Order: sequence, then structure tokens, then C-alpha cells
Amino acid sequence: MNTKDPEELLLERAKDLLDRGVENLGPRTERRLEDIRFRALSAGEEKRPGFFSFRRWVMVGGFAAATAAAVALFFWMSPSPQPLPTGHVEDLEIITAKERLDFYQNIDFYRWLETNGNGIRTNEKAS
Amino acid sequence: MESTLDYKEPLNRFLAEVERRAFQMAKFATRNRDEALDLVQETMFQFVRRYSNRPREEWNVLFYRILRSRITDWHRRSSVRRRVLAWLGRPEEENQEDPLQVLPDTQNPNPSDHALRQEERGVLDRAIWALPLRQQQAFLLRAWEGMDLRQTAFVMGCSEGSVKTHYSRAVHTLRGFLKEQYP
Repeated sequence: MNTKDPEELLLERAKDLLDRGVENLGPRTERRLEDIRFRALSAGEEKRPGFFSFRRWVMVGGFAAATAAAVALFFWMSPSPQPLPTGHVEDLEIITAKERLDFYQNIDFYRWLETNGNGIRTNEKAS
Repeated sequence: MESTLDYKEPLNRFLAEVERRAFQMAKFATRNRDEALDLVQETMFQFVRRYSNRPREEWNVLFYRILRSRITDWHRRSSVRRRVLAWLGRPEEENQEDPLQVLPDTQNPNPSDHALRQEERGVLDRAIWALPLRQQQAFLLRAWEGMDLRQTAFVMGCSEGSVKTHYSRAVHTLRGFLKEQYP
């Protein structure tokens, strides 16, 4: 008497049939599969250079040389350091001086007054 | 030289072990021998190139993940081709069943038993062909490859819940197809 679950039975039978189905795929398919496998392995071997292989060292050496050349070129091409712009330091002094900020804001007016104030006074005297 | 052999031998054994099932899986998906062989070829090349340096325990799921991805790509391409052909008004080429598949197996000692099994296998093949692609993959990976839920979900690129759904629907459909053999 078979006490197995029908689903389990179906799966077992299906697996068995599928396994048997690939036992004999026919000579043409089997040859082709073998050929594919060998070609894949050969391609992988070509792609996989050993640690001490010439190609690997050429690649590593080339990369190192290119990096060194790029670094040298960068330093050679970069401009020489320039002196600090002094004007900026003066501006900084103005900005940081809180109490005299209004004076600096009105400085244009004072300059104008100085230039034109004398003229106004002269005109006043003349009248 | 030794390192090449060290790398090549286990890989050769693994590929020899999976190539037939991979071919059959691709054939279920494409219903075409040559297309299936092309998919196996693409899978093997990509596997050897990218993943052969990974631990041996990971090879099976990685191999089938590539195959599943190739099959999905093939289906997308076929779908576009079908739409273009339909738009051009040309009939689509019907995939032919492999004539070698139906050749008699001369090595079998009991012809009547063999004929029964061939017939049964034919029914099963047609039932699997009739399944939607995701159900087909879930069924083959779980029931044939013996993968667990987590591995199947990784190969199929979906959640474990989706695998469960696809798999149970596949088993349900197959039972319907095969009810004469498995009442």
C-alpha cells in the first residue's frame, strides 16, 4: 500500500522522468554541449592570467607609469603659489570693525562733502 | 600550469554535471533545440568569465541565475520579434520539436516499458511547456534542481513568497494535466 501524498508522488515521478529525459539527448546535442563546455573553459583560461604572468605585470607596470606621469604633469602644469592679496585683508578689517561700520557705509558721502563742502561754503560767503 | 588545472578540473566537472539539465530547462522555455543550446553557451561563457573564482557552493545558484536571466532576455526579444512580425503581417515561425528527442533509445532493454515511459515523458514535457515561464522556472528549480526557497528566489530574482505562489500554481496545473497518471 502506498501511503505517499499524491503531490509527493507526482513530484517524484516528474523528477524521475526529467532525469531520464536528459540521459540521452542524442549524439548531436551531446557533442555540441561538450564543445560549448570546452570552448567556455578555454575562453576562461585565456581571460585568467596567472599571478606572475607577463601580461599582468605589463598591465600593472603600465598603470603605475601612467599614474606617475599624470602626477608629474599635474605639478608641472600647476601655477606657482601667489602672494596673498593684501587688499582683501583691508576689507576684512572693515567688515570686522562693528562700531565703525556706519562710518564706512557713509564714506562716499563724506568724500563728496569734503570735495563739494568747500564750494558750498565759498558760495555762502560770496552771497 | 598546475594552478590552471586546479581551476579547470572542478569547473569542467561542474559544467558537465549541469549542462544537460540546463539545456533541457532552456529547451522547455524556448521549445527549440538550437535556441536552447545558444542560451546554454551564453550562460557557460558568462559563468566561466565572471563567477568561476567564486566558492564552489555558490556555483549552482549563480549558474542558474545567469541561465534564467538569458531565458528572460530571450523571451523579451522573441516577444518584440513577434510583435514586429505581426505588424508586418508575416506569420510567425513555429518552433519545431527536436526530432532527435523522439528517436528511439536503442540502449533500453525493455521496449514496451520504454514506450510507456516515453509517452509519459511526452505528457510531462507538454505540461511543463504549457506553464507560464515563471511557474515553469519555479517548478524546475524546486522540484528538479532541488533548490530551497531562498536559492530559488535568488535565481529567479524575486521574493520567496512569489516563488511559493509560482510553484504551487505550477504543481496545481501539472496535476490537472497529469491526472490520468496521478489521480
